[in-house]
Amino acid sequence: MHRVLETLHERFPEAVVSVGEDPQRGDLSAQVRAQDLVDVARFLHDDPGMAFDHITDICSADYPDDLERFEVIYHFLSLPHNSRIRLKARLPEDNPTIGSVTPIWKGANFLEREVYDLMGITFEGHPDLRRILLPEDYEEGYPLRKDFPTEGKGWRSTFDFIPRLDEPESEWTEREIPQDQRHVFLAGDQPETAKRTTELLLNMGPQHPSTHGVLRVVLELDGERVAKAIPDMGYLHRGVEKLAEGLHYMQVVPHTDRLDYVCAMTNNYAYVRAVEKLVGVTIPERAEYIRTIVAEVQRIVGHLFWLGTQALDIGAMTVFFWTFREREVLLDFFEQLCGARLTLNYFRIGGVDGDLTPALVDRLREFLKTFPEHVQEYDTLLQRNRIWVARTKNVAVISAEDAINFGLTGPTLRGSGVAYDVRKTEPYGVYDRVEWDVPVGKGGDTYDRYWIRVEEMKQSARIIEQCLDQLPEGPIVADMPKVIPPAKPNVMRDMESLIHHFIIFTQGFKPPKGETYCATEVPKGELGFFLISDGSPRPYRMKIRSPSFVHMGAFDFMARGYLISDIITIFGTYDIVMGECDR
Amino acid sequence: MFDTSIKLALTLSQIGAVMGVVLLTVAVLTLLERKVLSWMQDRMGPMEVGPYGVLQPVADGLKLFFKEDIIPAGANKIMFSLAPILVLVPALIGFAVIPFGPNWTIDVMGVEFKPFVISDINIGVLYILAFASIGAYGVILGGWASNSKYSLLGGLRSAAQLISYELNVGLAIVGVLLLAGSLSLVEITEAQAGGFWNWFAFDPVPFPQFIAFVIFLIASVAETNRLPFDLPEAESELVAGFFTEYSGMRFAFFFMAEYANMILVSCMSTVLFFGGWHAPLPFLQAPGMFAWVTGIFWFTAKVYFFLFLFFWIRATLPRLRYDQLMRFGWKVLLPIALGNIVVTSVLAYIFPN
Repeated sequence: MHRVLETLHERFPEAVVSVGEDPQRGDLSAQVRAQDLVDVARFLHDDPGMAFDHITDICSADYPDDLERFEVIYHFLSLPHNSRIRLKARLPEDNPTIGSVTPIWKGANFLEREVYDLMGITFEGHPDLRRILLPEDYEEGYPLRKDFPTEGKGWRSTFDFIPRLDEPESEWTEREIPQDQRHVFLAGDQPETAKRTTELLLNMGPQHPSTHGVLRVVLELDGERVAKAIPDMGYLHRGVEKLAEGLHYMQVVPHTDRLDYVCAMTNNYAYVRAVEKLVGVTIPERAEYIRTIVAEVQRIVGHLFWLGTQALDIGAMTVFFWTFREREVLLDFFEQLCGARLTLNYFRIGGVDGDLTPALVDRLREFLKTFPEHVQEYDTLLQRNRIWVARTKNVAVISAEDAINFGLTGPTLRGSGVAYDVRKTEPYGVYDRVEWDVPVGKGGDTYDRYWIRVEEMKQSARIIEQCLDQLPEGPIVADMPKVIPPAKPNVMRDMESLIHHFIIFTQGFKPPKGETYCATEVPKGELGFFLISDGSPRPYRMKIRSPSFVHMGAFDFMARGYLISDIITIFGTYDIVMGECDR
Repeated sequence: MFDTSIKLALTLSQIGAVMGVVLLTVAVLTLLERKVLSWMQDRMGPMEVGPYGVLQPVADGLKLFFKEDIIPAGANKIMFSLAPILVLVPALIGFAVIPFGPNWTIDVMGVEFKPFVISDINIGVLYILAFASIGAYGVILGGWASNSKYSLLGGLRSAAQLISYELNVGLAIVGVLLLAGSLSLVEITEAQAGGFWNWFAFDPVPFPQFIAFVIFLIASVAETNRLPFDLPEAESELVAGFFTEYSGMRFAFFFMAEYANMILVSCMSTVLFFGGWHAPLPFLQAPGMFAWVTGIFWFTAKVYFFLFLFFWIRATLPRLRYDQLMRFGWKVLLPIALGNIVVTSVLAYIFPN
């Protein structure tokens, strides 16, 4: 048995109901009694031998037929030991209450709110347990429960979407939000000074030029200084996780495009990897190379988009258009590769959709030739620009300790000096076969995160170049007739292929019973898919661990004390995309 | 009585001509800015209306004219309507004292008439500065009267910004005034005749006002709310700042005022530091009767150069933050401007012209 599980079992003989090590997928899990969960979690966090300092995700599953209906599932990551663990606790239907781990991991705040919102599990000791993705006055219940119909219960039909034109014009009255509704937005611990007579609440969004989508933030202001910043999300919530429960594994792929629409393919990649891990598919060599190449091209696209918008937010308009010039070249490349420019649906379970033709390889090589020069151009406009440096240095500083505690990942975590990159720690694709470095910041401020992303673009170019050199010949889809649809020409020719084709496209394939969490490094951070399979062709539960959502959990912490102008910079520095954040 | 009516008719026609040219320039600038920016940013800019989009200003004007004029609920209607006027009028009125060409006096039916300046008053500089301050009221009122928090924040920002940077504008000019010995813009121009080495920005004796010119330029960028000092209307932070709630022609007034102000400060830079209508080298100036042709040409060329500079800065620099702006204005620009005055006055005392 694994060291961690052994220790857990010894230390908490009663609390730990059972432990499990998945030999095939390498996942560790422990079933814990609900009332002891916080103690076990604290031990996992505090004990130096465990050191699970990073909270990856909290999610829940509903088993209506079981005695204890709900299951809360925690994913922790130990950065020093590079190991993951899954804690699970069962809760009864009549009183689904469990202790909150917010005092241990600050990042648990938003994650627990999400579980509360979608599954109706109460977390005792949570500082601010409100709905997060759904509207606060949502009355229909908890949508991720199995007895909740996918199409909803009809609340929507009560909205009047079209304003009535014959309605009399309403008189404008001096109306403020009642005090009891305001308190969540107020810092509360501000000292009452003579200068400060009343707080000013500024509602930023959901329609605002630089909230990067429909995000609303309520700012409590002291002059222009932010006393508290409460993000209000969910304007783009589509319920992808619920939708996935009604679709075959294959049919979910296009839904993942719409998560982070700036770099759609990396989401495809994260999802198909999770399914492949669940089913146990081995990917052909060439497909792995192609996957790595397009994932890195997507990273460049994502970072270019980020650089442009961040510069635009700070007022450097030219950089925005220059980055779009390069992005355009890459979008054309994708158009030739898979026919789409934005919602690229290229990854398939077991491989990729189309081959990387020599013409496309040449095109990429041509791009790589000019790309370093273009990055140099952005640097001349920004890197040593006094205003840019003044606007980003020492803005939104977060220490490595806090960043880990909040569960931040990707460039946002690396900016604070933590060299955590899933591509290095748990290599997938061909990342272990090429040479590249993980750029790491020092100060944890906005400038460091900017520098890291620019550096990552250069590293991505390096990876692509090596992959193109090494690109082997071979098939681009795995040969696994029960899971992966056979090639189209064969379907028309031999009987067996036709049957497989028919079965897979009508009934879907059936993965083995089990569950797995699979993390992928996307431009925003660690995008994880947690899949529970009950042996049917549809996922029993799919949980998306979206980096943007977790990053927004640290927003208030990072925004306090800065000015309104910095709020915009902080939005930018996370590189949030609301499609992924709200799911 | 006859004299008065002649004078009135002449002045009115002069005002008409100047206003016509200024408003036309505003229209041209809106297009020119977009074109210049798009060239710098690797794109085309407006291309649809007319050949190469040259009729875009007409289309924009028509659109704004026919837009619904919205007054937000809870806004102070009088102040809300007054604010755009208070911004535009001071911006246009400043052109009254700008000399566009040679300082000639013509006798029209017994009335003395200066064709290239509407009014040569001996406090021209003060007059412009005074009206520029009134423009600040329009911005603050517009922000306050809109009953919107974004507008209010924009208005407050601009109040602080305009006051701080007006001071720097004033102090930067003092050096020029010391050298010219006059507040009349006509006389200041006259004092710079004879080639670019006589322009106050470069004139080595007693002290070149180039530093003062840079301060003036920076401060006037701030005065006109242009990037990198466009905090009152920072579109990524405050949506549109003080004119968030404005639409239609009221919005157009703010818009025109911004461009008119740009032209005005470009004219001022030209007149105060770059010799006004004087050619950079004496032989580039037409003699006698035709001096006005080259005069107006050089004046326009210099003004357009500064306008181009405005666009160029906008394309290059990101926006400053509020506290950085204040710190820069008070802790950097102000001491330098004061130092410039001290040095200039001491040197002007030692080496009198």
